[in-house]
Amino acid sequence: MRCKTAEKWILRSLDHPLSDEQEQALAAHRRECAACRALEQEYLGLRQILQAEDFPEPKPYFWERLQPRLESMHRPGLQAVWKQWGLRAIPCSLAVIVFFTLAATFLISPQPEELSQAGMLLRDQNPFQDTLLLAEDVPDNPGMVLLFTSLDENGSLRRQSP
Amino acid sequence: MDDRELVKKAQAGSRDAFGALVEKYRVKMFNLAYSLTQDRAAADDLAQEVFIKAYLALPNFKFQSAFGTWLYRIAVNASKDFLRKETRVRKIPLEDSPPGTLMQEDTTSQIDDAREKEKRKKMVHSALESLPEKYQVILTLRDIQGFPYGEISQMLEISPGTVDSRLHRARKLLRKRVLQLSARLGGDYAV
Repeated sequence: MRCKTAEKWILRSLDHPLSDEQEQALAAHRRECAACRALEQEYLGLRQILQAEDFPEPKPYFWERLQPRLESMHRPGLQAVWKQWGLRAIPCSLAVIVFFTLAATFLISPQPEELSQAGMLLRDQNPFQDTLLLAEDVPDNPGMVLLFTSLDENGSLRRQSP
Repeated sequence: MDDRELVKKAQAGSRDAFGALVEKYRVKMFNLAYSLTQDRAAADDLAQEVFIKAYLALPNFKFQSAFGTWLYRIAVNASKDFLRKETRVRKIPLEDSPPGTLMQEDTTSQIDDAREKEKRKKMVHSALESLPEKYQVILTLRDIQGFPYGEISQMLEISPGTVDSRLHRARKLLRKRVLQLSARLGGDYAV
């Protein structure tokens, strides 16, 4: 048996029983190899030291000290709430803003824009449409008729009546 | 009252039932934490943290394993986080002794078995602390806490075969580190 195999079986024997055949082979190797005997003692010694661990007494009032910490779990601080919800709120807020912007764009009808006379002519619109005097379908305002009539009487360019 | 009933009551909101579970497992949690930290205050903090995590996760506990095993799993994970976070100065308790003095004491004065054993124990623990965290944890669970393979397998969520191989590697590495420490400090490591 090689020492490497012996070491493997020594380590295995610390946790599991070896088969009879393995035990005999290991015992025979142990008799011949001082290094493997020492190795086995080292491993057994290490385990013994670890198993003999001394534990100090835990600090007193463990449960009494734990209780307030558990209580604080039920009342999350503002910071904890922000941590939990803050990051989720950002995309939600953006979505709401986009929604309202789109709604405003499509649902609210635009005000008619005021165009200059040149603009109206470009758009093939009557620039004088607001001028009621010249509107053909608007009935004559008697007051305005009298006004123009008086102007006509005083004007030198008054056309002679036929 | 057994663990199952206490857990059900605690899940229903009984603080007393959770307190009973804490009382039952606090020493075990403390001992596990102490094995890994070798510091009483740190072990106490770690044990408290384990129970806080257990309290928060208790509504999700579905009795797929024993409560103790589940609690140990939380403790192991919390300990691993602690080992990763803490930058600990590796304690070499014999560093102030000049090389060779250990052997001089053996030969020139009466052998003080208790002192020698204490020194070897500290050397072994220093070597244990220097191991990678997965080896520290498995040696602690197996050799210090004495858990069987099956429970270790459940706590660490690894197969029994992996427990076996990891344990073997851990012990080999521990021995190597102890020998290195012993050579640095002078003298032979002898049990």
